[in-house]
Parts: sequence; structure tokens; C-alpha cells
Amino acid sequence: MSEVTYSGNEIQLVVFKLGREEYGISILQVQEIKRMTEITRVPHSPDYIKGVMNLRGSVLPVIDLKKRLNLPPQEYNDDTRIIIIKVEDITVGMIVDAVSEVTTIDKNNIEPPQAVVGGIAADYLSGVGKTENRLLILLNADAIIGIGQEVKAG
Amino acid sequence: MDISQYMGMFLEESREHLQTLNNCLLDLENDPGSLSVLDEIFRSAHTIKGMSATMGFTTIAELTHEMENVLDLLRKGTLFANDDITDILFKCVDTLEQLVENVASNSDAVVDIKPLVAKLAALAKGEPVPVVKSQRVHSVATDQAEVQSPPIEHIELDDTEINVVKAAKNQGIECYEIQVSLREGCLLKSARAYMVMSALEELGEVIKSIPSVEDLEKENFDNSFQVVILTSVDPEKIEATISNISEIEKVIVVPSIIPGNEQKLPKAIESKYGKPDAGNFEKKPVGDKADRSSTIEHNTSNTDKKLKSGQSVRVDIEKLDTLLNLVGELVINKTRLEQIGLTHRLSELVETIEQMDRVTTDLQAVVMKVRMVPVGQVFNRFPRMVRDLSRELNKEVNLIIQGEETELDRTVIDEIGDPLVHLLRNSIDHGIEHPAERQAKGKNAIGEIRLIARHEGNNVIIMVEDDGKGINPDVIKQKALEKGLITQSEADKMEPSEAIRLVFLPGFSTAETVTDVSGRGVGMDAVKTKIESLGGMVDVETKINEGSKFKIRLPLTLAIIQALLVKVCEEIYAIPLGAIDSTINVTSNDIKTIQNQEVILLRGQIIPIVRLANVLNVPNTCVHSQDELFVVIVHMGEHRAGIIVDTLIGQQEIVIKSLGKLLAGIKVIAGATILGNGQVALILDVGALKQ
Repeated sequence: MSEVTYSGNEIQLVVFKLGREEYGISILQVQEIKRMTEITRVPHSPDYIKGVMNLRGSVLPVIDLKKRLNLPPQEYNDDTRIIIIKVEDITVGMIVDAVSEVTTIDKNNIEPPQAVVGGIAADYLSGVGKTENRLLILLNADAIIGIGQEVKAG
Repeated sequence: MDISQYMGMFLEESREHLQTLNNCLLDLENDPGSLSVLDEIFRSAHTIKGMSATMGFTTIAELTHEMENVLDLLRKGTLFANDDITDILFKCVDTLEQLVENVASNSDAVVDIKPLVAKLAALAKGEPVPVVKSQRVHSVATDQAEVQSPPIEHIELDDTEINVVKAAKNQGIECYEIQVSLREGCLLKSARAYMVMSALEELGEVIKSIPSVEDLEKENFDNSFQVVILTSVDPEKIEATISNISEIEKVIVVPSIIPGNEQKLPKAIESKYGKPDAGNFEKKPVGDKADRSSTIEHNTSNTDKKLKSGQSVRVDIEKLDTLLNLVGELVINKTRLEQIGLTHRLSELVETIEQMDRVTTDLQAVVMKVRMVPVGQVFNRFPRMVRDLSRELNKEVNLIIQGEETELDRTVIDEIGDPLVHLLRNSIDHGIEHPAERQAKGKNAIGEIRLIARHEGNNVIIMVEDDGKGINPDVIKQKALEKGLITQSEADKMEPSEAIRLVFLPGFSTAETVTDVSGRGVGMDAVKTKIESLGGMVDVETKINEGSKFKIRLPLTLAIIQALLVKVCEEIYAIPLGAIDSTINVTSNDIKTIQNQEVILLRGQIIPIVRLANVLNVPNTCVHSQDELFVVIVHMGEHRAGIIVDTLIGQQEIVIKSLGKLLAGIKVIAGATILGNGQVALILDVGALKQ
């Protein structure tokens, strides 16, 4: 896992929404969060790749996260955001329904992913985090991007 | 002290000095008496010694130290730079290169410098050096004599100055021209020049100096300068006064010549050939060296240029890429502002943006220019290579380099070295004949290879020309037949020019035996593939017994290409102009089918059609009502195809961007670019379209 401890046993997460569920991704992997922008379709690319976008002069691929996780699609609206993440030397954007907050969570409160959470294959998750009154599904960014599992991507 | 931060600088500067050493040693070989070349070698060796000692690379410092001892003797004239000495010096440079590369790669490989150090020490002690060809010694002596008493070049005066001199002469005041040479390695040249000038001011009136006083103050001069002075003091007194100033190598005082006086002839010659370059007075090709003089002169002018231009900064190429990106982003945002200004009818904003437009356009041009580097960076390594190779093959070759100042984008520069090495090796090995053979043919025994670069529109042309034996198309055909690359009937039909192009086929070689240099059948096809991968072309012209000419045409930069923007439904794609033959309009009736493949007939040729919308799976959102179709005729190698698009937007320069690792494997798409409005457009890989 590429999560890095924030301080002691805590990690800091960017929390975002896909449908009605809340997800988290380590803040250290997040480069920035952008509003929805124009995306150019790339022919012959995997269907979860929405296309490419222009980020201050560089071209980056954008993943439709819901499609990647096999969640039902939803129209983009004012809350839709693109989270730009960087894993190893790959920078990609992920389209999410909304970004809600940044929070900290104790590592002891993270449980390993079950086989299937809400219909998402466990490969894409690194665990489920519990805070006082809610559950955060923690994303495995490496798997989302497809590092180390080229076969599945596509 | 943490020296690692200086490592990059050390490596780069060392490599530069090693290159200088290589070049200068080549010059020295051609002109063993040249003091200025020796000085340059000494300077470079000295700099390397200093740098490596500071960085703690004692081996390098030790070797350069020994080199300096020998070089010093050469400068003093105690030793003559014969072939043995230059050979040893060349070996020293090779060893230094190895040492520096070891430092660069962090390798612990031990390079034994003891044998070299011993040889150098022996030389420095003045132990007998093997006898040299008498002819060469003779020419050395001539050169030496010339250096000892350089003829002073007379300064040209303008009309007012001449009047001043004439007026002074009427009053019995003499006019002298003084040439002052500073000692090599003189540290504060401008300060010395100032001391000389103020000493002269006390003796008389200085009316002119070359270079100008301003340049003297800025140290914009070599090691010598000239002054015209009006004085009633004896020339001997002037000489003595200036010689007293420290770090002055030599002072020459001669009476000035002004028009109206005697000695008109030299003046006329002088003005015909332009003003002499101060401080550069000893270059005269001697005797059998005359035919090599072109290379020597070219190198000299190069060092002069380097001395003058001086101020530059080294920048990491990645930083320049970032800069280019940022400028691009600036342009895009400017376009957005423009739109805002227009929509909201803010005339003040629009005016400001127009100003900004000019600035950003200039900025973009400057950033692009910064990325350009002279092709000389690559060419510089060839003289040494040609020397070594021609020695190895017992041939005599004179390499002439032209147009080394031609600028190319860094991306291209990095790539063209290898193909050029192949071509040059080929010319030396296959092209240039052995001296005896050349003389038998009535040619100069010394072969000539020209390496020429020049601009041609948006391209750079690089040519490798030799005056060797040329390529015989019949021999090529025969070889190709033997290797089964072509059939007999193909060979019979083939034009000579076509046959010669067979050398670019993979696996082709005419060499009877495999040598170290060539004949393995790799090479020319590799050259062609490489050049084509850079978006260039290579062609060959040849005449038997007159020589061959390989002509490479390259785009100025790989980062920016000319492209045709086309629209398919709502999507915009860029097609590289290099792949486009023409664009035509057809009606749907013009499209026929052959075996389910759509084709059109263009000037009697059947051209298969590709519907871009289908190939790219463009979502079928737009309705076609038009009967007229736009077809872009592209070529991919030998084949041609027509691409049907909805709209032609126009031709424009685009900056190529990679799609990144994640999308690297996508066929049909070669990359992306960002349009003026910030939108990303994909670049078609025409070669992948035919499937």
C-alpha cells in the first residue's frame, strides 16, 4: 500500500462522494482538486478512461471513477470534481461526484477490505475506515490506475 | 564542503574542455608551431587540473599536471609537437575522458595512468624523442619564425583622424602604432590595458585603439591590442615604458602610415581584405599544409567567437520544457480573457489584451529560441573520429565542417549524432580510396569529406559529402540479388538512382569483408530508420569516381510540428503535415468499392479510403447532410490512403505532448496537443491507420 503515515498512527484523507457513499484517499497522493473541465475523448482507450484534460499545459488522462468501480453512472453537475492524483510517476485525474472534506483517521480503525463492498471488487480498496459515526471506503489508488495489474485494465 | 552540488557543473565543464583539447590537438597536428593553439590547450588542461583538484579527483589532477609540464615545454619551444607527442597527448585526453566518465557513472573502475605519466615525465625531462620527418620540422621552423616576429598590421584611420595626424606631423609630432601583447594567463587584462593606456597618455595623445577603449575596459579582447599615439617621444622610450608594466609579453612600436605618405601598396591590400583582427596575426598556412588550411581557419574563427560571446547560462532542458508549458498556459488564458472581453464588451480589457497578445507571442518565440542549440555541439566530436579512423585505415582524409552554427531544437540534436557517425564512417571506409589509388585516378591524395548543415525553410539539411569512389548501381543490384532482396526482373527494371537506394535496405552491405568499421550490414538501414523516426528523410546522390552525397532533411524541432486540424463530428484531430500529400473534395458518388474496401480514383490511381469517424469510433451525434466530402490524402511509406473528415479547420503549428504512460499503448493516436482555447486535440498516427 502506498499510504504513508501522517503522524504516528493517523493518516489524513481527502473524503469524496460517489453516489451516496463516502470514500477516502490518502492526501499525500492528491495533487489538487479541479472543477469539471472539458475532456477530450481518446478513441480505443478502456471505457473507464473518460479522456484527456489540459492541466496547465500538460495533458493528463482522466478516469471516470464510477465507471472504474462499476457504479451506476450519474450526470455531472456543479458538485462534480476532478481529483488529480499522482502515484509513482503517473498523474491522472479521477472524476468524483463531490469532494466533501479532509479528515484524519486512526490506522487502528481501518479494517481490511471484505471481498465485496457495495459491489466494488476488493482489489480497488485498501480498507474500510471507521470514524465516530460513519464509514469511509478507502481507495487503493495503485489498483485504480492499473499499476501492477495491466491485464485487468481494459 | 559538500561537493556533490558542483558535480553536474564539473562534469559538463570537464567534457567541454576535453572537447576543446581534442579540437586543439587536431589543430596542433596540422600546425605544430601554433602558439595560440598551444596556449588554448594549456588553458583547458590547466582548468581541468584546477577543477578536479578542487573536487578531489586526484588522478585527473595528476595526469593534467604532467600534461602541463610537457605543454609548457612546447610553448617555450624546447620541444616540438611532433607526431609522437601529439599521439601521447591524444592518449592523455582519451584517458581523461575515461576518468571523467568514471566519475560521472560513479564507477570505481581503476584507470592506470602510470604509463602515460611516465611517458610525459620522460618528455618533460627532455629525453630523446624519436626522429621526426624532416619536412615537418622544416615547416615548424617556418611557423616559429613567423610567430617570433609578427608583422604588425597597420591600423586604418578615418578621415578626421588622418587630419589630426597630418596636423600633428606639421608641428613635428610623430604618429606611432603600438601593438601590445599581454602575457598568456594575464589575470586582469582590462586593468593591464588601463595601465598601458594611462602610461601612453602621459607620453602623448592616444587617438585610437583597436579594440575600442570601451571594449578594453570590458575585457572584450584577446591577448593583444593596438593603439595609435601622437607623441614627440622616441619609439624606444615608448617601448621601454610599456615593457616596464608587468605581465606585458611584447610591445611593438612602428611609425604610422597615413595616406599621402609613402607605402601606399600595403594600405590598398589591407583595405581590400578588410580590417585585420587584432591579436590574431600568426595564421598563415605554410607549404604542404595549405590544403588543410580551410579546417584550421574554420576552427580558429570558432575559438575567436567563443572568446567574444562569453556570457551564457546553463539551463536544464526540463526547466525549459516547463517554461514552454507555462507560456503555453499563459497564451490559453489570454485567449479566455479575450473571449470574456468580447462577450462583455469591455473595450478597455480588449485593448489591454491586445498588448498582452504581442508580449505573449514574443515570449513564446523567445522560449522556443532558447531551446535551439547549434549543431556544432554534435559536429565537434567528428574531427577526432575522422582522424582516428583514417589513420586506422591508412587513408588521408580532410574533414571540412560548414554551417556548424545552424541551430536545431535540443530534441533533434540529441538524436542525430549516431546516424551521422554511421554516414561518416561509411564515407571513410567505402567512399574515400587509399592515397595511391586516388593518385592513380588523378585525384588529390588526401580525400575530402564535407559535413554541411544549413537551414531550408522549416527544415535543416545536413549533408555528408565525400569525393571518393562513389557507389556503383550495378554492384548494388548484384549484391541485392545475391542476398535475395530483389528479384532479377525487379533488378532489370530498376533505374540506377533506385538501385542506389537499395543501400538503405535492412541487411544490405557491399563490404567484401567485415571490418571493425563497417560491413556488418547494419548501418544504412539503421540510419534511415532513425532519420525517419525523427520525421526526416535521407537521400543519396552519387557519381562513380566523383563521390557520394548523403542528404538528410530534418524538422527543426520534434516538439513542434506543422499539422492540419480536421474535425470529425465535434472532435478535432491533428494530422501531421509531413504525412499529407494533398486534400481533395469528392462527392459520395466518387467513392467506389473493391472487395468491400472503399476506394477513390485519384489521377488514375486507386486510393483506399478510411472513414475517420469509423476508425475512431466517434459517437454518431452529428448528421451528415452534405454531399461533398473532404478527403485528406496521406502517405504511409509507399502506400497512400484517403482519410474522410467532416471539416478542414486549417494548418497550424502544434506542440506535441505525450499522453503519458497510462495511454501509451493506444494505436492510431500519436500524441496530443493543446489548442489555443485550451482544448486538447489528439494527433493521428497516420502509419497506424491502415491496419
